[in-house]
Amino acid sequence: MNALTLPSRRAEAWRWADLDALEAARAAPRAGSANASAHFLPIEGPRLVFVDGVFDASASTPGVVVIETIDAATDHPLGNATSGTGWSLTLAREQAVTGIQIVHVGTGGESHVPGRIVLAADAVASIVETFVGAGWANRLTRIELGEGARLMRSVRIVQAGGFVSLREEAEIGKAASLVSVFLGAGGMGSRIDGTLRVTGDGGYAELGGALLTRGEQRQECAVTVRHEALHGSSNQTWRAVAADLSAASLAARVDVARGAQKTDGVQSLRGLLLDRTATVNLKPELEIFADDVKCAHGATVGELDKRAMFYLQSRGIPEARAKALMTRAFVADAIDRIGEDAVREAFAADAEAWLDAAL
Amino acid sequence: MLKIENLHAEIDGKPILKGLTLTVNAGEVHAIMGPNGAGKSTLGYVLGGRDAYEVTEGSVTFDGDDLLEMEPHERAAAGLFLGFQYPVEIPGISNVQFLREALNAQRKARGEAPLSGGDFLKLARSQADALGMDQEMLKRPVNVGFSGGEKKRNEMVQMGIIDPRLAILDETDSGLDIDALRIVGDGINRILRKPDKAVILITHYQRLLEYVQPDFVHVLADGRITRTGGPDLAVELEREGYGAVAA
Repeated sequence: MNALTLPSRRAEAWRWADLDALEAARAAPRAGSANASAHFLPIEGPRLVFVDGVFDASASTPGVVVIETIDAATDHPLGNATSGTGWSLTLAREQAVTGIQIVHVGTGGESHVPGRIVLAADAVASIVETFVGAGWANRLTRIELGEGARLMRSVRIVQAGGFVSLREEAEIGKAASLVSVFLGAGGMGSRIDGTLRVTGDGGYAELGGALLTRGEQRQECAVTVRHEALHGSSNQTWRAVAADLSAASLAARVDVARGAQKTDGVQSLRGLLLDRTATVNLKPELEIFADDVKCAHGATVGELDKRAMFYLQSRGIPEARAKALMTRAFVADAIDRIGEDAVREAFAADAEAWLDAAL
Repeated sequence: MLKIENLHAEIDGKPILKGLTLTVNAGEVHAIMGPNGAGKSTLGYVLGGRDAYEVTEGSVTFDGDDLLEMEPHERAAAGLFLGFQYPVEIPGISNVQFLREALNAQRKARGEAPLSGGDFLKLARSQADALGMDQEMLKRPVNVGFSGGEKKRNEMVQMGIIDPRLAILDETDSGLDIDALRIVGDGINRILRKPDKAVILITHYQRLLEYVQPDFVHVLADGRITRTGGPDLAVELEREGYGAVAA
């Protein structure tokens, strides 16, 4: 993998990327092992474990998920490194499989895994991916949703260190729905990079989540939702919380193609600075080539409301806990969109654990 | 219980309290009345520990302990409750979650065991019922979308759940209609009219004092108490106005 050419920060799309952290994670020697089973959530469904990018059959019960060779076939500078053995979920018409869990354990070095999700008409699936450990985990996930298909995708990035880069490419068909929620609440750097295309009339795309950074950590996402059909709708709700000297960056874009009338796109990017030495970068973008659409975007960066802090403290809640409660409330909009109770609670617990450590 | 001596306080360098002295004993209800800008709300905030206010002179003891040395949450755990004139809206935190956190934080600070979820809900529901607040409002985010009257009623429900020993209620009567005023007045009497508790009622008007009979009425003008009397003083203030009485 030494031939891998990393993108340049001179490119606008990569200017906030922490490529130094990526390089450092990639160069870190592999050491130790982690108990993947401890990271599965208490829900029924297929379970898969990848250790340093290699499928661990002995720790997995993949069910309908297939391990096979996948050609990345992408021009994304990181995603294109993932060709090889990966996982694949293909559901037939009206087939439903929920509670699929994939735990990615890193012990160091670099790992590249492609994933593919293809849902036929009216098929339903839910997938939870969890990233733990260290090293550079580089993943590509390609998603194709047929007419009326529904996919709920939840991604917990809680590596203690290293770097996680995720490339998401999705094609959303007629009346299909993709809801993706990401939470970056570990000690790693991260880059979430997505291009979602709504290609069928009435399709729905949602991609959002929360990035929590502290120390000198840097996390970012760069996502584009492209509407190419009638009556499409999309929602990008992102929250960034930055403490100490860290930086959290959100770039979210909506493109509405010519003819994609009646599109309804919403972007909500909000940042919270826990310290004035931290940085939050927000870049909402809209490019619209249709004349009968509704696209709204909002971007705000602020600090915790001092009046509300005093209100909580005046009722007996210590300052650190008051900060944690308010910060948790701030990110709630983004992660409470997860449908499954156990998954949503796990995300909330990850956020709480991060806040307890950071505040 | 509470002893304030020669209290001076300022905000952004501007003096507001200029030598306020007041003693509140257990079992007493004190009403503090006065014109706008006299320092009534500042007194509440200083006693509650809001950091924007700087005490430049004087002392405040609560059961013999230096109140001004305590953090706001420590004051609450010691038994002090500040009822806000403008309760803050906090999106994303439900009333139930907030109140359980608050009560258990106070219990922990006092070395008491936390209340279980079930026991807390029973307590919260009974207090909401007693103050005529819809149970559903316990589940809603703190004060978000509440009317002015609902916010004040919510403050009283919080007070009932937390059960403080000394409550400083800053214009609790503002925004209340006559029925709500009676309910809130009854609530204050039920929760705080006890031999081991005390109340400081900060108010502009005499109408709340028809429901909560004060033992003492003080006039606060230009940062200090200029006159003290019994319940009749409130009636006199209502009739004559602050200009004539407080001068």
